[in-house]
Amino acid sequence: MSGANEKNFYKEYEVFSKKSNKLPLQHQFSLLAPNKEMALMMAQENFMRREDAIDIWVVAREDIRALTGEEKQVLTKRLDNKDYRNTKGYGYLRKLWREKEEKLKMLDEKEIMSWSEGRKG
Amino acid sequence: MYHYIEGADSIQNVSTDEEKYEHFMQRINNGEKVEANDWMPDDYRTALIRLISMHGVSEIMGALPEKEWTPKAPSLKRKLAIMAKVQDEMGHGQLLLRVAEDLQKPFGTTRKEVMEDLLTGKIKFHNVFHMKTKSWADAAIIAWLVDGAAIITQTNMLNASYGPYQRALQRICAEEVFHAQHGEALVMALANGTKKQREMLQEAFSRWWDSLIMFFGPPSPKVTGSSRQDIMIKYKIRINTNEELRQAFFDKYIPRVKALGLEIPDKTLTFNEDTKEWTYAQPNWDDFKQIINNHGPRSKARLRLREIAHENSRWVRRALAEEEAVV
Amino acid sequence: MNKSMETAEVAKQNRAYAEALAELLYQFADDDFIISFRGSEWLGLAPFIEEDVAFSSITQNTMGHATMFFQLLEELGEGDADALAHARKVDERRSSVYLEKMNGDGHYIEEPDYDWALAVVRNFLYETMKRVKLQAAMKSTYQPLANMATKIIMEQTYHLAHWKLWMEQLLGATDEAKEKLLSRLDEAWEEFGDALSLGPKASDIAKFGILIEEETFKQYWLEEVKKTLPAKYATIPKKSLGNGREGMHGEDLQQAINIFTEVYQIDEQAVW
Repeated sequence: MSGANEKNFYKEYEVFSKKSNKLPLQHQFSLLAPNKEMALMMAQENFMRREDAIDIWVVAREDIRALTGEEKQVLTKRLDNKDYRNTKGYGYLRKLWREKEEKLKMLDEKEIMSWSEGRKG
Repeated sequence: MYHYIEGADSIQNVSTDEEKYEHFMQRINNGEKVEANDWMPDDYRTALIRLISMHGVSEIMGALPEKEWTPKAPSLKRKLAIMAKVQDEMGHGQLLLRVAEDLQKPFGTTRKEVMEDLLTGKIKFHNVFHMKTKSWADAAIIAWLVDGAAIITQTNMLNASYGPYQRALQRICAEEVFHAQHGEALVMALANGTKKQREMLQEAFSRWWDSLIMFFGPPSPKVTGSSRQDIMIKYKIRINTNEELRQAFFDKYIPRVKALGLEIPDKTLTFNEDTKEWTYAQPNWDDFKQIINNHGPRSKARLRLREIAHENSRWVRRALAEEEAVV
Repeated sequence: MNKSMETAEVAKQNRAYAEALAELLYQFADDDFIISFRGSEWLGLAPFIEEDVAFSSITQNTMGHATMFFQLLEELGEGDADALAHARKVDERRSSVYLEKMNGDGHYIEEPDYDWALAVVRNFLYETMKRVKLQAAMKSTYQPLANMATKIIMEQTYHLAHWKLWMEQLLGATDEAKEKLLSRLDEAWEEFGDALSLGPKASDIAKFGILIEEETFKQYWLEEVKKTLPAKYATIPKKSLGNGREGMHGEDLQQAINIFTEVYQIDEQAVW
């Protein structure tokens, strides 16, 4: 193998890491390295010297398709008419349930999330 | 999806440069952050490239004066701390150069050119890192006051309008807190030490005084003929002027310097209670110009270190510059 | 089965045991200390910035390990950890001569003509040796050492992985890179030998179960490095520079001592 252009040594990698089991992967920063093995070897000491990382990802930047500056301006806007997609549009149920039966309440977020504790007793 | 992207193009096509500029100014005035792939005015990009590449190479060059004392650190504890400090400086250089490199992408340049521009003098580095270190006390003064001055300027940009720079600075300033305390620990040990140690500290402090005053740059562009502080403020990259930052440095550090019993070499330094301003003797700004143009006492020697590092390991970078890993 | 020694106090009751133990601890401490010193000379000079940061973490961790070993010696009554690190004379030191070797011609402040091939070869061979030694130490009859080895090996895993990657990638890269590494490997096979020696108390060290037999240790190391290196490196390296385990050192260690004591010797009693 012959020596390639020194410029090819500097490839861009984006670095992501996970701090704990409960947290999602988080973007850290970018670094330059000649290949993904080296990029991974550099990642932790460059960006997480003082914090925990239970997992690390490196991604070559050329493999990322992100929105361009122009696309960000036009593709991230949305009309504020989507109440049907979230709980805001269903508050009226509270009153309807009360009319049926005083003790029964609508199943709201707090109630449903509390089921994670399982059935008690 | 594809349809929308075509739509995006047609929207952009009708907007003129003035409209883009107006939209850009509106965004930064609203406190929004500009990202690398967003439209930005040419003078904004140019100002950022100059600022951030200078900041980045200053970190890389700034590691060298303290590195001179790292293998000589006088205890196990100090060895560990100063190694971590010098490592952080290199790490800050890494963050900042990545930010500068992304800004330079439209011009097709990479880390290779940044390093070469440093060696040819096209990218300059901070005046303080051109100076000699003579004793362990210099390492203490650098860690305490040079870093102190750097913390003043860097925290002033913590809300900079350019997102990648702002995020790099958040990381950097978080680590600077450790540097500040490391610096205080070194200085405190000497100030509370033997007569010899106190003398070392005083000598180092006197030696660094002018450089520290110069660190913030000239008070007005007239002094050295050029200054980019106005554009930095207009584009919300920083808040204060050079002089305001220097005054902030005096505010924070002069009381501490006095409490340690250090003698200030500038006998004219006084605080005016009415104006809340410090008056001080101007350093020789011609010297400053000479120094930052790589004619300082250690400019050539430290650049030579970078040159050797660059040349001696060229074979390593060439070897791994193949298309993919050779594992 | 050897009796386990729970504390320094217990170990000190048996003079032969304590002497053999101290000998081994000096090897651990002095090796880490000197290779970390050589690493600190490299700061700011690595092939690229990201590597500079990563290499520096290894150098720091290693100095941290040296500190822990000096503390074990302090507990054994050998003296203050900082004094052990700084004030001992050349012939009192037990580090391997190969690890003391200068990084290249020049001085770290003026014209440092350092060779990355030496850095890769030396650190790879050393970290492999350290790993084998720590694995054996995890089963040491000296409980404080076994506990410490168990902790150290956790972060030392990265050190070895780092240098192994460099070794593999450069050996598999250009002819130029391969030649540079092979020439440093040939040199190491003349000089690395004393790093694998357990010193004048080797038989007591094994007899008391403080570590394993020197021969077994050497073979474990060889099996490990063979996984990465070309087939020709299948023998135990020679000791052409001398044997640091017996206090025989060259000028390079004195050069290092002159640097790392420059500030310390201004006033050994002072607090820095």
